[in-house]
Amino acid sequence: MDYFEPKTVSEALSLLDQHGDQAEVIAGGTDVMVDIKYSDEPGCLVNIKRIPDLNAIRESNGGVHIGPLATIHELEESDLVRERLPLLWQAAHQFASLQIRNTATIGGNICRASPSGETLAPLLVLEAQAEVTFSDGARTEPFGAFFQGPGQTSLGSRGLLTGISVPFPAAGSHAVYLKHAVRGPMDIAMVGVAVMATANGDKTALDDVRIGLGAVAPTPVRAPKTEALVSGKALDAALVKEAGASAASESSPITDQRSSGEYRGWIVDALTRRGLEQCWQALTGKEVA
Amino acid sequence: MGLEIKLTVNGNTHTAELEPSTALVDFLRDTLGYKGVKLCCNTGECGACTIIMDGKPVNSCVVLGADAAGADLVTVEGIADGDELHPVQQAFIDTGAVQCGYCTPGFIVSLKALLDRTKSPTAEDVEEAISGNICRCTGYTKIFDAVDLAAKRMS
Repeated sequence: MDYFEPKTVSEALSLLDQHGDQAEVIAGGTDVMVDIKYSDEPGCLVNIKRIPDLNAIRESNGGVHIGPLATIHELEESDLVRERLPLLWQAAHQFASLQIRNTATIGGNICRASPSGETLAPLLVLEAQAEVTFSDGARTEPFGAFFQGPGQTSLGSRGLLTGISVPFPAAGSHAVYLKHAVRGPMDIAMVGVAVMATANGDKTALDDVRIGLGAVAPTPVRAPKTEALVSGKALDAALVKEAGASAASESSPITDQRSSGEYRGWIVDALTRRGLEQCWQALTGKEVA
Repeated sequence: MGLEIKLTVNGNTHTAELEPSTALVDFLRDTLGYKGVKLCCNTGECGACTIIMDGKPVNSCVVLGADAAGADLVTVEGIADGDELHPVQQAFIDTGAVQCGYCTPGFIVSLKALLDRTKSPTAEDVEEAISGNICRCTGYTKIFDAVDLAAKRMS
């Protein structure tokens, strides 16, 4: 196996151009090391961990710029993330063990493009943008376009994720990330649901409701019909019930060793209801009637 | 293709060759001889291979050995002060927190890292610190007792 430690993004990109599908990019390594041991060893390993300045977390243009090499624990420790992107903070906090959070990078979690990746549904809900770089140039794109299937992204085999831009949520918004797993944070999510909303001026209705679903479709997805169903309305018990069923119908979960598809549908329903109720309560100070 | 790296383990400087695909746990155990680092699940889930890397607990089975170049590592072999055990080690003995013992080095290292961060951890802090360490013998109660005792002795 060939091994490279590029010192710049352009060096890394020319290695990917040269080695194409044979190359595997490694950052924190918490997924790739397991592949190396239990699947086929890649033809060549491109370790991007030592490229400088790719792990910054800083305020930029009305949001937060996150370098892909920032570890999950660095996100969790960042006051900027905790105070301004609480949804992403909650996902980071429920991400595996401390040992893994100290090693795994947000870029790795994103580029792995597992439908259950903990940070992905929150990034969709926050309407974050991916900065993707190829040897012939860079572009930014929404994560909705970036994720193309399980393990598949618009990077293909020749691109690198070089930045994540997350706009600050609207002032006064509230968000929750709810994860369902057998062993709490240690486990991969059977279902993850991110809900974010604001209230209207006199706090009688929800506005701009956003719902992201993880682990229940080939990619993390938004639930646009459910968002439209709830936005602009006062949340009551009937609407909560309708929204839960709607979100479940917008998911397309598979059955695997962690859960049956049917069970995942029920959990989407339950977590969507719970997330909406929590947002309503936080935003209006009232219980759902 | 061998790769030569230089690193510090428990205050000792080592220079050694490794294959680039080698996991840090295998390099520490098989090349440098730090057998206190235990290999168990080999997928980053059980915590038996926990070491402190540049001040932070990590699972050495899912860290690329090459990433340890220039790093400062602490294994369970490096936390006693000469013949005097680290308070966490002594407390594990005194409270009976060791049964089969295989997970113990990982727990000791995770808990040493916790007590380096905070002098009087809450029960939640302890749970968080060892959420990535699995013990199939003790039921954890004695391990919680051990941390309490160690924290008291250290304060």
